[in-house]
Amino acid sequence: MKKKAVPEWLNSSIWSTSPAMNSTTTTTTSASASADLVHRYSPSSNPYIYDDDDVDPPAPPPPPPPPDTVRRDVRDRDPGRLGDYDRDDEGPSAEEISRQALLLTEVSKKMINIGELRRLACQGVPDNAGVRPMVWKLLLGYLPPDRSLWPSELAKKRSHYKNLKTDLLVNPSEITRRLEDSLYSDSKESKGPPIGMLKRSEIAHGEHPLSLGKSSIWNKYFQESEILEQIDRDVKRTHPDMIFFSGDSAYAKSNQDSLRNILIIFSKLNPGIRYVQGMNEVLAPLFYVFKTDPDEENTAAAEADTFFCFTELFGGFRDNFCQQLDNSNMGIRSTIARLSQLLKEHDEELWRHLEVTTKVNPQFYAFRWITLLLTMEFNFSDILRIWDFLLSDPEGPQETLLRVCCAMLILVRRHLIAGDFTSNLKLLQHYPPTNINHLLYVARRIICVLQHVILDSYSLGSVSCL
Amino acid sequence: MVLVLALGDMHIPHRAPDLPAKFKSMLVPGKIQHIICTGNLCIKEVHDYLKTLCPDLHISRGEYDEETRYPETKTLTIGQFKLGVCHGHQVIPWGDLDSLAMLQRQLDVDILVTGHTHQFTAYKHEGGVVINPGSATGAYSSITYDVNPSFVLMDIDGLRVVVYVYELIDGEVKVDKIDFKKTTTTTTH
Repeated sequence: MKKKAVPEWLNSSIWSTSPAMNSTTTTTTSASASADLVHRYSPSSNPYIYDDDDVDPPAPPPPPPPPDTVRRDVRDRDPGRLGDYDRDDEGPSAEEISRQALLLTEVSKKMINIGELRRLACQGVPDNAGVRPMVWKLLLGYLPPDRSLWPSELAKKRSHYKNLKTDLLVNPSEITRRLEDSLYSDSKESKGPPIGMLKRSEIAHGEHPLSLGKSSIWNKYFQESEILEQIDRDVKRTHPDMIFFSGDSAYAKSNQDSLRNILIIFSKLNPGIRYVQGMNEVLAPLFYVFKTDPDEENTAAAEADTFFCFTELFGGFRDNFCQQLDNSNMGIRSTIARLSQLLKEHDEELWRHLEVTTKVNPQFYAFRWITLLLTMEFNFSDILRIWDFLLSDPEGPQETLLRVCCAMLILVRRHLIAGDFTSNLKLLQHYPPTNINHLLYVARRIICVLQHVILDSYSLGSVSCL
Repeated sequence: MVLVLALGDMHIPHRAPDLPAKFKSMLVPGKIQHIICTGNLCIKEVHDYLKTLCPDLHISRGEYDEETRYPETKTLTIGQFKLGVCHGHQVIPWGDLDSLAMLQRQLDVDILVTGHTHQFTAYKHEGGVVINPGSATGAYSSITYDVNPSFVLMDIDGLRVVVYVYELIDGEVKVDKIDFKKTTTTTTH
């Protein structure tokens, strides 16, 4: 058996800094310059000089100063101003435009082919076309592929959410008042004499605020108040650099309220998992995308849509958040072990160096990557792009996530191999800004190689049974 | 939804050693937002205990209180309601509803909380409501020995108040409630 060396494609010249680029890279790594305001990619003629040698941020062609990310979400909604920021005279490449056009036509069809949509979305959804909310809703299964069913589906789900809100978001005073109003429907008589001793009345079901009974709504309310406080604290801390989420404006406050409501309702509907810190981070990009939908009607109902999509997305990942499952073969530890195995298959040298030589336990860095779906490793626009890729995978986001993590490790392999425990850990816990298209290209290649490996093992198997 | 605890006339340690155990098990920190105490605690330890239940504590001076610096009367605003506290030994005849109504108009409050009689009463007149939470320990009063331990919890929610009356009768806690709404028209003098 041949010793597993570093795969050939890893050593290809695209990762090096020399200007002689091979043209094959331009197709997938070509600029989505018009779409992305934050990273100014140079057009396909200039090679990407960004590679694992550059840990310092200024490597990509002039990145904007950080304040731009704060104002970005405001500018994002105004596609008319796009031209000001497009410093590339050549604009997006022809393939880019055609791919975006394909995506747009696919989305506007009456009966959408989800498989085709997945394939197109995998390459990235254009930021300024306003189709991302719709694409994500389709990919998550919230909207059916048949366009004619959309209005009824949406109306049904949104009213369901409204009912959930009225049922679950009330405090006990409200509940007792409603109970009474239903019991004493002729409540006009409770006016009583204007002067005199006030009439004492029985309480219903032994419900009073200091009740210690297990089934008492008041008792349950106070027990849940701790979780509510935790949710409140985390919501206030979500993305403090973005005016969409934080700050004193009424807009930010209403967005925070929406996030809070969604998390509270989710925690009440899922008593097994309640609320775990970090769920707010997974929720934030979803809500942002749906709230910045150019369609007015969708923006108004963004909270309801986000709730259902979040439940859907989270369904695949909830095992990672459940503490009891930590050590089982469904929990986070086994997921991290799978990542480790994946790295070993693709880059044994790096794996050996990380785990054996420098003893960097993957739990130190991969935990946050996996549970938070990479939302804390990159800036916001990159997160949206990565999530396009994650959501478009037909096998589900969990598998693709591991591949992206593996790609992240491989991209910085030179630094990792050269570093010791401290520097490696520091690097991985503060992952350097990188070219996202590169990253996703590598992640896609890992899929291909994996399929090759599977095919190889099949062919070997068939030979051996002769 | 603001929970306000009103109690008083504990007379610890002179007339009673402590609050009844069943009351103490119900009164846990974290649920109540304000405490109004009519007076006659009488010692600092009771003050500290009430402080652990809720940091926002309002006390008026009773005639046996060892802390001399509590005010005779106090007013505070919670939500849409103005509340007043006074021990009640100053209002003569003790427990007379018309005289208490005079005090209420003087303080200009919607709900007046007084004590001293060690009997629970809730009385409504056109100026507002007078509530007497009774004695939380069931200590004997200047008037009678037959006292049931009682206290009051008010749930203030907008313009509506639900008053929960907790009484210890024959060793069992009985809870009743009283509902009233504040009319938005204020009486002009």
